[in-house]
This record gives sequence, structure tokens and C-alpha cells, in this order.
Amino acid sequence: MPPKSSSGKEKDIAEEDEVLQAVILADSFNKRFKPLTVGKPRCLLPICNATLLDWTFESLALAGVQEIFVICRSYADQVKAAIRDSKWSKPSTGIKIVPIVTAKETFSPGDAMRDIYTHQIITSDFVLVTGDLVSNVRIDEVVRLHKERRRTNKDAIMTMVVKEAGAAHRTRSRGVSGVYVLDPNTSECLHYEPVLGYPPASHVTVPREILAEHPEVEIRNDFIDCSIDVCSVEVPSLFQDNFDYGDIRRDFVYGVLTSDLLMKNVYCYVAKDGYAARVADTRSYDAVSKDILSRWTFPLVPDDNHPGGHSYEHLRGNKYIPKDNSVSLSRTCKIGNNTLIGPHTTVSENASIHASVIGQRCTIGPGATLHDAYIFDDTEVGAGCVVEGSIIGSRVKLGKGVRVPRGCLIADGVVIGEGARLRKFERISKKRVAPTKSEDDGSDGDDEEDEDSELEEVEEHQEDAPRVLGNNSNALVWPRGSPEDDEDELDDREHYNNLRLMRIGDDASDLELSDAGSTTSSDTETDSEFSSMHALSRTSSMTSASMSLSTADPSARTSAIHTLSSAAAETEFRSEVAQSLERAFAEGHSVENAAVELKTLRMASNVPLRRVREAVVGAIVDRVPLVVGDAAAQRNEIAKTVRRWGPLIDKIGGVDPVETVEVLQYHCAAAGPRQGLFAQMLVALYQQDLVDEDDIRAWHQSPAAKGEGVKHNAALVEGLKKCWDVGAKLLEQLGEDSEEESEEESEEEEAPKAKAQAKAAAKEESESEEESEDGSDGSEESAPSKPAPTQHSAPAPSTSSKPTKAEPESESEEESESEESDTPPAKPTSQPAQPSVPPKTAPAPAAAPMSAPAPSSAAAAATQSATTSVPVGAPSAPASQAKVAKAESSEESSEGSEEGSEEGESGEEEGGP
Amino acid sequence: MGPELHTIHGHRAVETLAAKLRRRQVVGSREAALETVLVLRQVVSRARFSNIQQLIAIIREVGRRLAEAQPKEHTVGNTVRRVLHNIREEANSATKAPSATTSRNVYTISKFVLQGQPRKQTASVPKSEAIATLREDDPDDPDSFARGLKPVLMEAIQDVLDELETVYENVSKNAKDHIHSDEIILTIGHSKTVEAFLKSAAHYRNYTVIVAETGPSYSGHDMARSLSNAGISTFLVPDSSIFAIMSRVNKVILGAHAILANGGLVAVAGSLLAATAAQAHSTPVVVCAGQFKLTPLWNLYHDYGALDFADPSSVLGFEEGKLVERVDVVNPYYDYVGPELVDVFITNDGDHPPSSVYRLIKETYDDDDHEL
Repeated sequence: MPPKSSSGKEKDIAEEDEVLQAVILADSFNKRFKPLTVGKPRCLLPICNATLLDWTFESLALAGVQEIFVICRSYADQVKAAIRDSKWSKPSTGIKIVPIVTAKETFSPGDAMRDIYTHQIITSDFVLVTGDLVSNVRIDEVVRLHKERRRTNKDAIMTMVVKEAGAAHRTRSRGVSGVYVLDPNTSECLHYEPVLGYPPASHVTVPREILAEHPEVEIRNDFIDCSIDVCSVEVPSLFQDNFDYGDIRRDFVYGVLTSDLLMKNVYCYVAKDGYAARVADTRSYDAVSKDILSRWTFPLVPDDNHPGGHSYEHLRGNKYIPKDNSVSLSRTCKIGNNTLIGPHTTVSENASIHASVIGQRCTIGPGATLHDAYIFDDTEVGAGCVVEGSIIGSRVKLGKGVRVPRGCLIADGVVIGEGARLRKFERISKKRVAPTKSEDDGSDGDDEEDEDSELEEVEEHQEDAPRVLGNNSNALVWPRGSPEDDEDELDDREHYNNLRLMRIGDDASDLELSDAGSTTSSDTETDSEFSSMHALSRTSSMTSASMSLSTADPSARTSAIHTLSSAAAETEFRSEVAQSLERAFAEGHSVENAAVELKTLRMASNVPLRRVREAVVGAIVDRVPLVVGDAAAQRNEIAKTVRRWGPLIDKIGGVDPVETVEVLQYHCAAAGPRQGLFAQMLVALYQQDLVDEDDIRAWHQSPAAKGEGVKHNAALVEGLKKCWDVGAKLLEQLGEDSEEESEEESEEEEAPKAKAQAKAAAKEESESEEESEDGSDGSEESAPSKPAPTQHSAPAPSTSSKPTKAEPESESEEESESEESDTPPAKPTSQPAQPSVPPKTAPAPAAAPMSAPAPSSAAAAATQSATTSVPVGAPSAPASQAKVAKAESSEESSEGSEEGSEEGESGEEEGGP
Repeated sequence: MGPELHTIHGHRAVETLAAKLRRRQVVGSREAALETVLVLRQVVSRARFSNIQQLIAIIREVGRRLAEAQPKEHTVGNTVRRVLHNIREEANSATKAPSATTSRNVYTISKFVLQGQPRKQTASVPKSEAIATLREDDPDDPDSFARGLKPVLMEAIQDVLDELETVYENVSKNAKDHIHSDEIILTIGHSKTVEAFLKSAAHYRNYTVIVAETGPSYSGHDMARSLSNAGISTFLVPDSSIFAIMSRVNKVILGAHAILANGGLVAVAGSLLAATAAQAHSTPVVVCAGQFKLTPLWNLYHDYGALDFADPSSVLGFEEGKLVERVDVVNPYYDYVGPELVDVFITNDGDHPPSSVYRLIKETYDDDDHEL
């Protein structure tokens, strides 16, 4: 022990030398708090009677941060003044706070980061937070871990702090969240996928390599993103290099993790102790207020360490009353639980206040009822008012009997006349005084201009204002519903329906969401490069057939999340590829050059490998001149073309013959006149060793090959069927061949293929024996496919009892009904093959069935290879962290997986042995 | 009112400690007391004053600031009071020792009630003669008073520090007189004082300790581990079985967070349960605590807010989203145990019944310091 502790001390000393820096992004870059933020920045809104900025400072001070840069954009002067006047600017706090005003053109956190880069203020690892953070997490601990990691791995550029929470947690944002794929041992974040609340996402795509390279991964959708990031110095420069990075999560983290070029690592710190959340919207304003009042943020609670410097007394039921006796509470008023009342406030008789926060110097009239209300300073609530689930700014006057139902936001200085009845989710701000107030300082000018134009717009919609607001009101009613005009410009996070999920008091029950207890089926969908993760919502779990249609329809196969952008990109990509191949064919490029060109194209437009394959196969098929009536000549043409260009198929970045056949099938089936070419093409490919018998068999076995899932296109189905029949015939022929041939011959035949995997040859021999046995059985049960040359991308196919189906390389859409009907349950014949696969080399991705609370059943299902279903909407805790088990499972568990995969579909998981 | 804090030398250290106390980076009664003494020593050593009132005003200002920063750590205020008391005493004996001793000789019961028992002052008489030349408010050399007095004051503060540092040994020095062979002792929580006390008794006696696990912090687990490592036969029981096993227990030993002036105490949550169960079985309840925990405060009304409430996460995980929304969780840190439930306090200054705690407090602190 002694040496350890001494080295620990040395480390401490070494770290003390460096000043711990923090950067606060004080601007929110969105308008979710409008109109409360008319005339002041969001970080100066009070929560529990202290400004958000103060809470952020306190959170950082707790971590021992010594130098803080506050990046402000709108109302920078107010922010600066607030910092100057606060206790934080006193030298005794030991914290140096430097406000930095960025240009008005800063529209995203990414822009702010680029600004930081140009200022060159960052000297070492720093903490990046937003200006609306409430946290008691030991950030210094995170920084220590980060630095330790940096010592061994220079590419660990960032550590994100996340907090575990259930899916239906009040503090977890419903609108904007993310799915994290973590390595549970190193807590490296392997993949990040942003998720929107609306439209509800049902898929995340996890790159195949992640599942291949990591024997164990956790896929988590139950994290609160605390937006505390410990970043290395190079993070701002990465933003500088990638000028299109806007958001830190959606763009930066996603970009870094999916980039083939950057090779940087991002880690997660799952905060076990402590609390951290940001006030990103009005709904989280409500949630964080409640968390503070119910002391989750301890010791950052009003009676202990109030960032605003007030001192409150904590009474039974989490009521907080100022200690200085400045509050006048009438004898008959009722103060309910979880309530904070600010200093110098008067509560009149018979008023009842419940789960609310009242600011300083407020007056609550007789008989007023406040429920979940947040009232800022100096506001008067008239007699008999009813306020529910709303935020009311400062210096507001509510006349007698005003009703403020849930979801209303009332900006500073508004006066609402007697008896007014607001509608739900009303947003109200004060009318501008005729001449806009003289500009005290130039820099505010732009803000005001922005705001003026906004207010002008609001003013246009005042038809129903007098009716709503009552007499003697000075207020404007903001338009309701979605603003139609600028819908397109908006980031989809700021889309109206998504914003609704982040609105105070809005339960959004009329929106169709996958949230709240969605179930999942263990549908398998594999892709050449991506295994798509399905999480079917409860409503759609019975429609898995229609979901799996996406296999047939390439355009629908795009990841659900980036549908729009990637669809556009793909169209463009397709035409680019077509042109490129056209050039290559015409000018007789070498295969290598053409492949390089294709790779570049793929990189540029970021499309899955399958798209490229489709394009190449399609181009080759179209390249073959049609020779009508002369089968031999036709065969020659095809052979010529395939000989010349066939190798290109395998050079585009990955080898996947099964997919090649399938792509060929779909292309021929769709191409009408060239449908007849399928058989000859297939033979040509076979002769060129581009595909071998097993691949054809695997393809033949896959449901996609039978045209399942393609329901809407009868012609296509027809074509597919024909091609499938052709394939069957070919297989038959091949089967006969192999029957006739002696064993040695079959070995010889294998030989060329075995080149790539020479050491596996012996095993293969035995496998091929079984294979031919199986084949001769003539049953649907196919042979265990032999390990493909690209071992890494074929995780443990043969451990599964349904090897071919589940084989990740095959473009197979697993569908239980069909499978159960045409596949007998695990045949013992396939099991002896299992030991031949070294368990360690074959990590199997997991299924995370929603309906599997018992870890054992989850583990059993997890052995089902290459199929991963991740609940996006609402994972219950155990399911969401379903660990991906290794494929080293025993035979029993492979049986268990069989069970898991079949019963998981029908919704009742019985669990593995 | 006294001087403003920022005019006091060493106020940086005061603010740092205040911030640490507020952020709960300094927790535990002894640690808080130690930190306070260190800060006070720094303040006194750098203070500029020309009479004793100025110095006292400075210390009171510092003390008020610290005590306000964390009113739940009572030992901070106690330490300040103790230091003030010692300083006054030293200053008195230094400046007007002869007159003071004569006037104090008049000893009446009414005076005792008002002022507390006079301390023995014979020891300081020779010292006072040595520096009897000290003059307050010397117009020629305003610092001369401070210069002359400071060594004595530092010594007085050092006394407080020494007392804090030796408190465990002193409390446990009589342990063998309280614990007899083959007794069964019940304790709760992980009080360092109780731990030292039990370990010290284990050198002489062979006895059994039952430790309640003390949810939701489960500090009892550490206690049980530590005791059994010391070779004491130890049982760990859930809190819920305290009453059931009380009939077999010979003695309940509790630690304290603060001892209040009425003889009650603030102790780790669960102590009230143990003490009440002990009363029902007429089992003696012994409280082990250092003298620095004596607090001139009353909790006659069982003031709810006097207890400290921690975050609910140890009771209900934050990840239980749906419950968090609907359930109010209360996680009190301390219990208030009334004086009627306690039989004896074992301190580093001897053993006392609850009824004489008020006297100890009068002796230890000056009356005018009760409100800092």
C-alpha cells in the first residue's frame, strides 16, 4: 500500500500544477424558452431562485475548477454584468472567470468551439459544460480518469459524463437523447446515435465492426446526457477542421466515432453517485426544479449551499422558507410539499401553494392556487388566481381570478387583466413600448433587431389576444402550434412536435411515440456492413413482416434517423457511381483504379457498402450485351464481362458473396428483360470463384431470396421467384456434382477457397462432410456455412443453431414465422460443428429483448448471432443494458438461443437454461 | 458589529473553509473542528489588534461566518467558542490577573448559575506577573499589546488543538471500567470515538459487540469490519432487529454528532431507535463523545430542520424514473435522542450524566458567545 499511496500523491501534485479550465457555453442556440428569454439570456433565468449560471458556477466550483471561460453570444452584456456582480468575481473564491463574447454569427455550439480555438485560450484538458447545468458530480474525478487514460492513449480525446436514469425519467429529455454503445470494461463509447423523440425512432444502426471487435458491448438508451464533457486540447481544433460540426453530440461525437479517418476515442463516465442534468427546455426546467427541491442535488440544496446566497430553512415535506423571517405567511394559507418560497414574499389567506417555486418579493393574493408553478421575482398573483404547471416571469401582474392552465409561459412584465382565462400552452410576452428603447449599448442592437422582427411577427397574430388576455393587458399572445413558414430551415430537433416533448406540462399523449414501454422482437436484419437494430414499438410488433420489407426496397433501408439527408445523398451517390463505372467501362480502367474511385465515392457520400455492391453488380449486368436467341453467345458475352469486371465486386471494400448473389437476384428480377441473365450470371460468378456453392446455398436459404417481405410489387416478387427457382436448379446440379464426386475431389474443389483460411482447412473438411450430408437430406436445414474468408465480419455463424439464417454476412431478414415454418428447430447435426469454431474469435452480437427482464434469458438470447435488437423508445433498466455475451456459449445455450429467438418473437420469453 | 470579514487578515482561508463546509467537502464533527482551529490559529497569528475586544470581535466575525456556512456542523461554532473562552482567560490572567483572582474568590450559588464554575486560576498567576506590563490601547505603539499577548494566545489555541488530537485516547482511557467481561454491547453507525473506545476495552476484556448495519449509509458494515479485525467478536445485524435482540444486550454504546445543552444529543440516524429500544428493556445507554461536541443549543421542540437531510439516492436509486416522480423520499442523516434516554456521557473530561451537561457547557464556554 505505501508505494501506491505515495505515487498517488505524486500524481496529485503533478495535477495541481495545471490549472483546471472550464468552458461554459452560456448560449443555448435555440429558442425553447421563448418568450421568457425575450430581453435576457437563458442562463440568467432563475431556477429555485438562483440563476442557472450561478448553479453552473457552483457545480464547477465543487469540482475545483480554477479558470472558467464563459462563452456568451446574445445579451453578452447582461451576462458579463451578472458575472461581475456575483460573488464569483470576488478574488476569495479562487476562481478566475473570463467572459468571452463571440460573434453574432455563432449559431451552434460548434461555432462557439471554433471561436474558442481561434482565441487560443485552452492550454490543457478542460471541462466543457453548458450554461444551464445543475450538478454535484465530482467532475474532478472525471478529469482525473480522463488524464489517466490520456497517459496511455493519446487518442482519448473526450470523456462524456452521463447519468443513469430510467427511460421514463422526468429529468431525461424526451425530445433529444442518444443511444450509447459502450464497452463495459473500458467504458469507451463505441458508437453514439442521436435519437429524437419525434418522429419516434425505431432503429439505431451499430456498425458491424464494433460488434466484431468487442466481445462485450452495452447498448444504452437510459442515460441522461449531463452535457459535461472533459475534453482534450485538440477538441476545439477538430471543430476547426470540420467546419460542418454544429452540435457537440449529434455532429461531433457521432462524427468522430463514425469517422474512418480520425481514429479518436471518446469515453463515457457513467456517474453512479451524484446528480447532473441540464435545463435544456421548459420540461427539464420543471424536472430539475423538482429534483433540487427533493434534494437529489444535495449538497446543492436551498437550505445548504444555495448558489444565489439565500439561506432557507428546510421544513418537513421539503418546504423551504427563508431563514430571515422576511416571508409573511398568512395563518390560513396552505403550503404543500416540495415548495420553495423566496425572501420578502407575502402569501395571503387561503392561498394554497403546492410543488411550486415562488421568487423574491412576490405577492400571492387571497385564495390563489398555485400548483407546479414557477414564479420569478416581484410578481403579483391576484386573488383567486389559479396557476398550474406554468412558468411566470418577473414583474408580472395577474389580475383577479386569472386562470393560467398548464404549459403557459408568461414573460417578464406582462399584465393580465381581471378574469382572463388563458388557454393551455399559451405564450405571452409584453407589448413593445412604441419606440424601441434607445440602445444603451451597441452590441445589444443585433439582439434587439432579431427580437424586433420576431415580435413583429407575433404582433401580426393578435386577432384573439383581447379575448384571451382580458382588459387592461399589455401583452402579446404568441402564435400557437407549429410555425409553418420556416419549418424546413429548422433543425429537426427544433421541430414543433419534438419541441412539444420538451414543453412544461405537455404529456404529448396525442403524439405517436415509441416511448413508454415499447417492446421488441428479435427480428434480425443484417447488412453488409451495418447490423440494423430493430426495436419495434408495441404497436408495430405484430407488423414485423412489413418492417422487414425494407430489405427488398433499398431506399427504405436507410437508417431511420438520418432518413432525409441520407436519402438525398444516396440518390446522388447512385448517379455518381453509375457515371464512374460508365467511364471505367468505356475507357477500360483497371479494376484496381475503378475500385479506388468507388471507395472514394463511398467515403464522400457515406453510404453503406451494400449500396456500392448494388451499383456495381447492376452496372455489370447492364453492361452485358443482350444476345437474343443464342444461348452460347450470350454465355460467352457474360463470361467475358464477368472475367473482366467481376473481380471489382470483391474489391469495393468487403467480400460478401451471399450478398452479391442476392443483389444480383434483385437487380435481375427488377430489370425485366435481363431477368434471363440471372442463371448465366450466377454460373459465371461461380466459375470466376466470386461465389461458391455454399454462398449460393446460403443465399437460397435466406428469406429475402424468396422474395419475402416484398409485398407491394408483384412483378418484382415474380421475378425474384423465378430467380430463386433458377438458383434451386443450379444448387441441385451442384449438389449432384458433389454427390458424384469423391471426397478427395470435393476437397480439391474446396482448396482454392481454403487459400484464404488455410489453417481452417482441416476443419472445413469435416464440415463439408456434414454439409453434404445435410444437403443430401434435402431438407430446408442448410449446412453450417463455413467460416467465410473474412472471419472478422462473420461472427460465429456456426454457433447458432440456424447458421445460415443468422449468418451476418447473408443479407437475411430473419422472420420468425417463415423461419419456424420452413426450418425445423435446431438439428443435432449442426451442433457437432460448434466446437470447431474457436469461441474467442467469434464474438456474437446480442439481442436485447425488451421482454426479457431475467438476465439469464437475455444472455441466452444474446447468443443468437448477429442479431441485435435495441429498444429505442423505453428500455427498462435491465433490458437496456443487455450485455452482449460472447459466443463461447455452450451447446445448451445455443439451444437456449433458439428458444430465445423464437419465443422472443411471440412476445413471451421463457429464458434460457 | 465587528469588523468586516474582508478586512481581516487571513480571510481567504476563512472563505475557503466556509466554501468547503458549505459544499460538504469537510464533513464529520472532528474534522470540522480541526479545520476550524487551524483557520483560527492562522487568523489570530496574523490579526492586528490593540486591545482584547478587537481580537474577540475578529474571532467572532470569523466564527459567525463559518458557523453560518454550515449550521449543521455544530463543532465549528463550539470550537470558536472554546477558543474565545481560552483567549479571554489568557488575556485576563495576563492583564489584570491579581484583581481577577481576588474578585473571583467570592463564590456564591447564584453566581455559579449565572457564570458557571470558576476555573482554577492558580497556575496562570506566575505567567501573568511576567507580562503584567502589557497595556491595552497603547497610543505610542498600538501593536505592542498584540505582540506581547500573541505567544500566549497561540498557546491557548494549541491547547484546543491538542485536545482535539488526543480526544480518542482520552475518551477511551477508562473504557475497561465501563465494559466488563462477557458483556454484549450494541452499537450503531461508525463513530471513530466508539470504535477507539471498544478497541481499547478489548485489550482488557473479552466481550461481544453487535453492530446494527445503519441503513441507508450502512456505515455499520465498516464498523463491524474494523472491530472484527481488531479481534473483537462481532455480529452485524439489520436495523430492524435491534428491538428483538435488545433483551440480550447489556449496554448500548452510541456515538454523537453533537451533545446539546439539555443533555440530549444529535446522533446518526437509527440511534433513537436503539436508545428507545434500550429504554424499553432498561438497558443502559452510554454515549461516547469528545468535549468539543458540547453545544450550547437546545432542541426542546424536536425541531425537524435541526436534523440534516441528505439526498435520497441511497434510499431510492435515481434511475427509478417513475418512482422518483411520484414518491417523496426523506433521508435524514441524524436522529435527535432526548436526555431521558441517555444514562451517561463518557467524554475526555470524565463521565457525566445528562443532567450535568449544562454545567459542562457553562464551564467550557463563555455565556456571551452562545450567539456568535
